[in-house]
Amino acid sequence: MIKFILTALFLGALAGYLNANWTSIINNVWVSDYLLNAALMMLLFVMAAALAMDKESISKVRRTGLKILIVPLAIALGTILGGVVSALILGFNVVATTAVSAGYGWYTLTGPLVGQIFGPKWGALGFAANFLRELLTIITVSLMVKVDKYAPTASGGATAMDTTLPIIVRYCGSDTLVTAFSSGFVLSLIAPFTIMAIASLA
Amino acid sequence: MQGFPETFQHERAEMKTERDTMNFALLIVPLIAGVLFGYFSREKRKVNLSKFTFGIILVLIFSLGFGIGSNSELLDSLPEVGLSAAVIASLDIFFSVIFVKAVRKTAGL
Repeated sequence: MIKFILTALFLGALAGYLNANWTSIINNVWVSDYLLNAALMMLLFVMAAALAMDKESISKVRRTGLKILIVPLAIALGTILGGVVSALILGFNVVATTAVSAGYGWYTLTGPLVGQIFGPKWGALGFAANFLRELLTIITVSLMVKVDKYAPTASGGATAMDTTLPIIVRYCGSDTLVTAFSSGFVLSLIAPFTIMAIASLA
Repeated sequence: MQGFPETFQHERAEMKTERDTMNFALLIVPLIAGVLFGYFSREKRKVNLSKFTFGIILVLIFSLGFGIGSNSELLDSLPEVGLSAAVIASLDIFFSVIFVKAVRKTAGL
């Protein structure tokens, strides 16, 4: 299954690159925005319907209740620790590197925001680090699920509410829909605030 | 170093945030519609949609890749900061997974 996913990702990147730099047959937005959103909406509808039809999954979700809110909190703390540790390993500024991490995978936010605060070099890093988080989540999902049922949700960070959600649910089961979505939602909500709070420490 | 023109950065950040709040409606509406549809068609005969869903997942991944391939800012930043970015992304993922695993054990999730 992962073979097909990686092939689709590669072909998409190739087509996007050729279209942007060579042919420009179609407007980028049609594929990278409209087609993406249409596919995502269709998947969310089907996955939510599958969850609602499955009584066993519903009762699993009910049993978890509000405890699922601990998951995004743990992901946020883990990510911030990851930022501190990588700053120490790379010999980078700890505050700026941690701010880069605090995008939780949301690169369209983190790149511009961190760039605005710390300068273009950090903007580029904020873009790349968070983009790679999304990419690594997609590539490693089949291995991650063996580590822990919620490991792909943790790995996906903020992207677990949209782009990586369908793959997470596909590999981890219908009942992870609620945990993954709410975790991604909470992380997306707090990302701009944590980035700015960390930046204020500089 | 490739970067973003400073004057546009603030505007860009705001524009993106605005776009993403709009996206939230795009996500929550099909989720709620799906739950309602699924709930009311519980007793009906089940159809296996897994092949269809996987096909749409491939469309989603393709368009995600398309966005990456056509994003020259992102591609330009990769040769220069890619390695450091990979270290940061891997450690972010590593510690997130460790923390979630620990929390699941202690809270019994």
